[in-house]
Amino acid sequence: MHELQRVVVTGIGLATPIGFDEGTVAEHLFAGRSAIERLRCLDASLYKSQSSAEVDASSFASAIASRGTRPGDRTSDLALIAAGQALEQARLLPATPGSPGEETCVLVGTGSGPSHALQESWQTFFTQGGKSLRPTTVPRCMLNAVSSAVSIQYGLKGTNYVIVSACSSSTIALGIAFRMIRSGDARRVLVVGSESMFTPALYASWDNLGVMSRNADPSRACRPFDAQRDGFVLGEGAGALLLEERGAALERGAALRAEVLGFGESSDGTHITRPSIDGQALCMRNALRSARLEPDAVDFVNAHGTATKANDATEAEAIRKVFGARTDALPVHSSKSYFGHLLGAAGIVETIASILCLEHGRLHANLNLEEPDPVCNLRLTGLDRLERSPRVCLKNSFGFGGSNSTLILARPSSSPS
Amino acid sequence: MSRQEILEKLRSLMARTGPGKTEWAKVSEADAIAALGIDSLAMLDFLYDIQQEFGIELDPRDLVAVTTVGQMVSFIGERKGA
Repeated sequence: MHELQRVVVTGIGLATPIGFDEGTVAEHLFAGRSAIERLRCLDASLYKSQSSAEVDASSFASAIASRGTRPGDRTSDLALIAAGQALEQARLLPATPGSPGEETCVLVGTGSGPSHALQESWQTFFTQGGKSLRPTTVPRCMLNAVSSAVSIQYGLKGTNYVIVSACSSSTIALGIAFRMIRSGDARRVLVVGSESMFTPALYASWDNLGVMSRNADPSRACRPFDAQRDGFVLGEGAGALLLEERGAALERGAALRAEVLGFGESSDGTHITRPSIDGQALCMRNALRSARLEPDAVDFVNAHGTATKANDATEAEAIRKVFGARTDALPVHSSKSYFGHLLGAAGIVETIASILCLEHGRLHANLNLEEPDPVCNLRLTGLDRLERSPRVCLKNSFGFGGSNSTLILARPSSSPS
Repeated sequence: MSRQEILEKLRSLMARTGPGKTEWAKVSEADAIAALGIDSLAMLDFLYDIQQEFGIELDPRDLVAVTTVGQMVSFIGERKGA
């Protein structure tokens, strides 16, 4: 059996509602500024939930144009933007033959893949008939169109595929990439999470499910762990992380942004939408075991924290089950009141938020936490600074289907082993 | 529809289908289609867009002899006139 390798982050990319670069994103996070506004890209009057976190149209258009690509499916385009940034920061472009970038693998986490291309195709089929479908409908609409677009655009020759597991998708993609590198099967994996479900059919589906906030004030709509929370706010965006075997990264002089210490996953095995305390607790314990850490080593939790009644209460109980009495002193926050719920991309974007917190030595606040719900009995962070700089973060993502995932990250250490 | 009008429409369709970095506004009738970087898959989309835009039906086999942008302009002009 191979010796286990250490896994570090050497590149970060973002295309989110609060910014297309990490400086802007950090500024928003630490100033407590959200991107949530009234739904603009669809006719809000048709829906009960009328808040959204959309990416800025001009930033999006210029980012696509600067990559020399023409606009295609929105989910793929967002993925290409974030992926390019991460590769550039990791100094892996151009991925010429024989270069370190060339062998990079691509794993993409997404809940519904190229949803805009799919919507367009179904609309054509039902209004004009099958003969009017584009001949390239299949390669445009296959779920792995997103990962193959990244591989082709940047010339990456490692494997590429998509992981679909609802809101856990990109956290599981990070976890699988972590295992690939840890076991010695890959040296570099570009992990991307991308999602844009702002199509009329998908938005209406979420709206009818009744899990999105119906608060008439967008700035107060997303309130994780608050007593008045009434659901999540849908967002769109992408994040990318270049994971790399630590020795290889140091050898080529790459800057280390964070270290991935462990990954855990579990299934509730009970219900397709209702979360489970036991399933989530098992997931966090599996992650701690993978990282070979005791719960005491964790300095803060970046929660899944969707702001639905069920999720936040369940997650709070699960955290208490894992951390016991230490829960009272363990800071917990959710990033969803900034980015909205990015669904399949949520995990990776919130992991990047966690890395920024580790680097800045402070946590962002839980926005709109005015009256903490007593059933969410946690130490929830506000705009205050921590007593000590955090070193280890536990990041949760839980998805429909009872799919749970947890990553454990740390500030990069200079120790050789 | 004049040759110039057909050429203008083809330029905008190629801009939608072809590689993002090509300056499509400068494409002329003398250019060889194969040299414009439109691969075989993109060509399927290009032909689809032509059919939608000009309201004509094309069989790719009819286009075997069409190798330049100018020949494509002539071909579309004939079909539109037919």
